[in-house]
Amino acid sequence: MSTVKNWQLKRDMEYAYDEARPKRQWAIVFDLNKCIACQTCTLACKTTWTSGKGQEYMFWNNVETKPYGSYPLGWDVNVLEKLGKQDWAKNGSYEGKTIFEAAPPEERAVHFSPTDEDWMYPNHGEDDCVGSQDSGGHVGALPHDKWFFYLPRTCAHCTYPACLAACPRKAIYKREEDGIVLIDQSRCKGYGECVRACPYKKSMYNPITRVSEKCVGCYPAVEQGIQPQCVVNCIGKIRTMGFINPPWKARKDNPIDYLVHTKGVALPYYPQLGLEPNIYYIPPIHADRDYLRQMFGPQVDGAIERYRTLAKDPVTAGLLCLIGSSDRIMHRFTVANGVATGFDERNTELVKVPVTEPIIERPAYDEKLETVRNNTP
Amino acid sequence: MRSLLISAVLCTAAVAAAQDLEARAVKADLTKDDPAAAYWASVPEVNVSLIGQPMVVPRPSTTTTSNLKVKVVHDGKRIAFRLQWADPEKSEAGRLGQFSDAAAIQFPAAVADFPPPVMMGAKGLPVHLFHWRAQYQRDREVGKPTVKDLYPNGSIDIYPMEFPNAEANQGLTAKDQEKFSPATAEGNPQAYSKTGVDEIIAEGFSTSQVKEGHSSSGTGAWRDGAWSLVISRPLAIEGGSTLTLGGKSWAAFAVWQGGQGEVGSRKCLTMAWSTLTLKEGP
Repeated sequence: MSTVKNWQLKRDMEYAYDEARPKRQWAIVFDLNKCIACQTCTLACKTTWTSGKGQEYMFWNNVETKPYGSYPLGWDVNVLEKLGKQDWAKNGSYEGKTIFEAAPPEERAVHFSPTDEDWMYPNHGEDDCVGSQDSGGHVGALPHDKWFFYLPRTCAHCTYPACLAACPRKAIYKREEDGIVLIDQSRCKGYGECVRACPYKKSMYNPITRVSEKCVGCYPAVEQGIQPQCVVNCIGKIRTMGFINPPWKARKDNPIDYLVHTKGVALPYYPQLGLEPNIYYIPPIHADRDYLRQMFGPQVDGAIERYRTLAKDPVTAGLLCLIGSSDRIMHRFTVANGVATGFDERNTELVKVPVTEPIIERPAYDEKLETVRNNTP
Repeated sequence: MRSLLISAVLCTAAVAAAQDLEARAVKADLTKDDPAAAYWASVPEVNVSLIGQPMVVPRPSTTTTSNLKVKVVHDGKRIAFRLQWADPEKSEAGRLGQFSDAAAIQFPAAVADFPPPVMMGAKGLPVHLFHWRAQYQRDREVGKPTVKDLYPNGSIDIYPMEFPNAEANQGLTAKDQEKFSPATAEGNPQAYSKTGVDEIIAEGFSTSQVKEGHSSSGTGAWRDGAWSLVISRPLAIEGGSTLTLGGKSWAAFAVWQGGQGEVGSRKCLTMAWSTLTLKEGP
């Protein structure tokens, strides 16, 4: 075991291999306040990558309703229960154990093994609300006392992947050039250790090829400067893919660094598991805070406060307008004079958007066409 | 590094191990694996001790198979091992989260005065393994299972690579269709139908690679809570382990109980080589 730095925990931790950060790290930021669980991302991924035999049940990208939805069944509650106490210190460092540190000597990670039935209900719990709204009730305050939210999930291409640590064949590798974690399809023997060890359950066994598979981060697109299928097909423009730096190398003009490090509105999910996952979420402002603290850690209150004051922050507001405005990976952005601009790796302009869309007022009755206009939002 | 050193110590200990094996000559056709053949009755049985694999994580937390009954015969061209062990349930894997019962015999890949480290060999000191799985035997007997075999009640709308009227897929060759099956397209042996035994070369932990087979075979029968399995192979294998009449070699064993979630490094194995002598007469 090696001692490695995990900035999400603000402390060192134990891992199977030495710290070896890639040259740059693939990352996605999701704004959970905007996700409507249309599953367009899920299907974009499905049709691109998992329409083959043995992949029928696979959703490398899925969207589940929290708190009751989960794919596979109970992936989150099972591992959280096994992890034990998960307290955070006042300075924001994690005081509990990670899945690596809590593992018995014969295992790489605390885990649970889903059965095949656990994978068969990807929409389990969909739209299930916590509690039922009384007749005539009114949801007037934030956070709501009756709540649910949607959680889109891909592989987090973790800095410290449990799948990689658990593979006795060393058939899983993390790419130096972009941090994408891949299962070598020519070397894997389908032992299923990655399926057992990944706490997010994003490694999946293909019973026809008899080896395990996982989200490939759409690396063929990423290599050409294009964002993954689940990102570019998002109709709500809730997500963006880019490259994140660790906090000590953060750049204020990098969209991902800005949202995660500079502004602190996007947080990793279940950071206490210890994998330093690289999918980040802008938390839903209306959901139960205790639940959100468990999922996103102690910084969630601050993240929500900052998100709720975005109207006064044209830079972040401008960046959020850029999200979903280009298929290409945005490496740099600027916001000036009410216009947000995104740039690619070569500093070529990708897209320009107004921070505030112009408002045009028209009379309700159109004299020229002699008709009443309907405003359909 | 530490594991290698310990393996080296174990390997030295192995030379003096008590569970030595002697292959008796029989007049029989050993190309036909038969765990119930009459000639087994005349062969002495050796009890080989196994323990839960202790070196590589993940590993089993308990020893599920502690004893393996071994008998060995040869016909001058082939050598056959009959392995018997207790396993309360027959496991052939297939569906998600299921694993197969399995067993393996390991030999030094080259003739030498001393055997390689007993646990998977070491760099420059390769071992040659014959790995049988109930799952692989099932492939041979009834064919590699399809999705419908594994999940008869599964409902599948279409497979795009097979959809005959999909304009985009007209003229898709079998090779193109393979692209929908990544491990198959990569030529991973795991993705293809098996005959019973995989031949594997390894030079240390995490290095095992399936090699082209040399007419080795394996047939097991599960009955009343126990497996009876025959693995046979030619004596001489070019580029692999070679056994000679009157000569001395070594063998080591591993067993997996699929029903207990054992697969890969979760296995029970011999911690020392057994010497293996091929007797010329009966």
